Amino acid sequence: MTTYVLRRIGVGIGLVLLVLTLIFLALHLVPGDPAMLLLSQGDGGSATPDAVARVREQLGLDQPLLTQYWQFLSGALTGDLGESFRNGQAVSEAIGERLPRTLELVGLATLIAVVVGVPWGALAARRGGWFDSVTSVLTSIGVALPVFVFGALLVLLFSLELGLLPAGGFTEWGDDPARHAQLLIMPAIALAVGFASTVARMTRSAVLEMLHQDWVRTARSLGLSRRTVFRKYVLRNSLNPVVTTVGIGVGTLLGSTVLVERVFSYPGLSSLLVDAVTARDYPVVQGVVITIAVLFVSINIIVDVLYGVLDPRVRR
Amino acid sequence: MRTSLTSRLRAAARPRTAALTAAAVASMTLAACGGGSGSSDDPGTLRFGLSAEPVTLTTGVWQGSATNFVLTLIHRGLMTLDEDGELVPGLAASVETPDPTTYVFTLHEGLTFSDGSPLTATNVKNSLEYYANPDNGSTLIAGLQDIASITADSDTQVTVTLEAPNNAFLEFLAVPTAAIVPDASLNAETPNIVGAGPFEIEEQNEGVGMTLAKFDGFYDAEDVALDEIDVAYYPDGDARANALVSGDVDMIDYVTWENFDRVGSTDGVELAAQPGPFQYVQFNVTDGPFADPLVREAVAYAINRDNALTAAFQSNGQPLEGVVTSDDPALEGLGDELWSYDPDRAKELLAEAGYPDGFSATLLATSQYTFLQDTALSVQQDLQAVGIDVTLDAPDWSGRLEKGAAGDYDLAVSGDVGIVTNPIYLLSFVQGPDNFNRSFGYANEEIAAALTEGLRATDDETRAAAYEEAFDLFATDVPFASIDTRDQAWAYSDDVEGFTNLSGFHTFFSGYTLANTSIER
Repeated sequence: MTTYVLRRIGVGIGLVLLVLTLIFLALHLVPGDPAMLLLSQGDGGSATPDAVARVREQLGLDQPLLTQYWQFLSGALTGDLGESFRNGQAVSEAIGERLPRTLELVGLATLIAVVVGVPWGALAARRGGWFDSVTSVLTSIGVALPVFVFGALLVLLFSLELGLLPAGGFTEWGDDPARHAQLLIMPAIALAVGFASTVARMTRSAVLEMLHQDWVRTARSLGLSRRTVFRKYVLRNSLNPVVTTVGIGVGTLLGSTVLVERVFSYPGLSSLLVDAVTARDYPVVQGVVITIAVLFVSINIIVDVLYGVLDPRVRR
Repeated sequence: MRTSLTSRLRAAARPRTAALTAAAVASMTLAACGGGSGSSDDPGTLRFGLSAEPVTLTTGVWQGSATNFVLTLIHRGLMTLDEDGELVPGLAASVETPDPTTYVFTLHEGLTFSDGSPLTATNVKNSLEYYANPDNGSTLIAGLQDIASITADSDTQVTVTLEAPNNAFLEFLAVPTAAIVPDASLNAETPNIVGAGPFEIEEQNEGVGMTLAKFDGFYDAEDVALDEIDVAYYPDGDARANALVSGDVDMIDYVTWENFDRVGSTDGVELAAQPGPFQYVQFNVTDGPFADPLVREAVAYAINRDNALTAAFQSNGQPLEGVVTSDDPALEGLGDELWSYDPDRAKELLAEAGYPDGFSATLLATSQYTFLQDTALSVQQDLQAVGIDVTLDAPDWSGRLEKGAAGDYDLAVSGDVGIVTNPIYLLSFVQGPDNFNRSFGYANEEIAAALTEGLRATDDETRAAAYEEAFDLFATDVPFASIDTRDQAWAYSDDVEGFTNLSGFHTFFSGYTLANTSIER
């Protein structure tokens, strides 16, 4: 088991290093000069070549690419992600501010997805008939519906028509807990819809598969009630693939927050990334991508390890 | 069996459904109660939705409209603009001009910066000298380069002597980046946040917003009705409009054109639109067909300006057949009809230039600003109609800047705005180092000389004659081919009173009028 875990961690570190190198190269190969951008915000400004050269020097962009890569790599390995080109804020500090917000959003969305998706899928498998058909249609829509479309519909209904919830923005929990919760609920639901649909579909097919197993028939023939069999054996055994789906889904969700954060003006990690990319704020882009890569890889390792615990065959 | 199972399941599910319903009702009630939280009902607080998070403020440097908005709130220059957009003294209580090259500014008594330190004539002298130095990246060079000397006559009096008359000088002093700041801010490293404006920054929350509080040391503090401005960042145009329509904020800047109708037709909301920046085609004149003025003129005649307006701005703007001039009566009618939509004339000019069968060219735009891409698509159609086969190149904004500055294009669609309304803003299109938004490699000393003569003129006749000459040259040499002006809109709830969207290029400085804005709830 220890070897298995160590091997997975080793592969994970390799992956993060690869991502780190790729993002560095991609950023420097894509056209666009951060210095020029910094000096040419919006209309009316037109920076002189001298001024641009001065800013490039300040930002260290006049150094050879290899030197910049080494500085970035050695910094990242010691936990120093540099400072934002735009506002001089330490990248680790910016991530420290934004990451909890995104994790809160993703966490709530996951909770909604599991709490709604698992019972729904199980019920659909067990009841069958029209309920199953409706579930099938609804979850298809849920999976296919782009998250920003659903988000926009939520805003239209709950903010613009009914006036029940604020249309977007952010308030710290400590400043106003009620408003914080209000501002969190719509983005979380928007994010959860596709995820819940996937979880429901996965649960449904897993439960259906289990229901047709020989041991289910055996258990019933031994006189156990359908309900006991379902609760004790079918559902529990169906949850293994569901755990994997949820694990992978959480990773994917970290990427899906980009659009949700935009629609709801939610200042999380993804909106930081989008703004940093358009501003060619290299240190911030690199820092955020590394953070997401580490999270994604860690979640995968955890899922793999859990799987290894549940099913010793995968450890080989 | 089946029936009993389902009924049992239903029974089992019931309490949970009830619990869920209760939770949903509770959360909705909570939502409804919390709708108007804490400070939002305070009549002294304006909740503002801003289109971008301002970058770290750097003294003197032009950093975009979101930054300019903040500057208009926390800073003041010697001059400012009033609610009618008229040039009026700001930190200066009065300005005297004993002769066309001498300006005597008398400051208000007892001025202080928001950090409590006194604002003296020496601060004025140091600030202006800093802005007049090209090494500091200031956007005011064109206006301040004529300064011969600045003397602090006393604590409250400053005399500025110019080498030659400059009828845009005072207007340059009203630009938000011309603020008078403490000496400690006069460098590129110190954030430019200490000023002597009507508000001061109380709190900044990265990515979320900022809170500005009324600054009691402002010279006109008794007329400032707002105690606080709560700024929240809404980078997405739809989200910003939603925030206003749903009542989350009282006011927003930069209403996107596709939201004009929706915002404008909402009860209790005002849409204030004014013509602002202008769009145009710029050329790479270093070689190839566009080095020939006849070809550039052909482009100017080939553009269907009404189509471009519809495509990019849902017709919220005006076709522009010349250059934008100020509403100065002395310049009325000058320069506004240099070209028209005349594809036949365009074809003739192309034939005259030796391209009767047309040619191919690349057109640089950007995918990041839809309105520039849509304008480019419209221009592409127009040029194809006269025989110029145009390939569109639409990188993101950063890529667009780099290609523009390197001259990596034949044609480009651009949008720009003058820092001042005085026609001297056109000088940077015909003179000086290349940059991303002027025709690459283009220079015309004759036009530059005529524009400068207009700037130096001390009487209306000389002025009009100089500009007439400049615009005649413009018409045939075509430093750029104009397309249209676009409406820039601010929008606000009916509760907001006293705010004005200033007209023309000044629309981006409308934040000045928040000093006299109040909110009635």
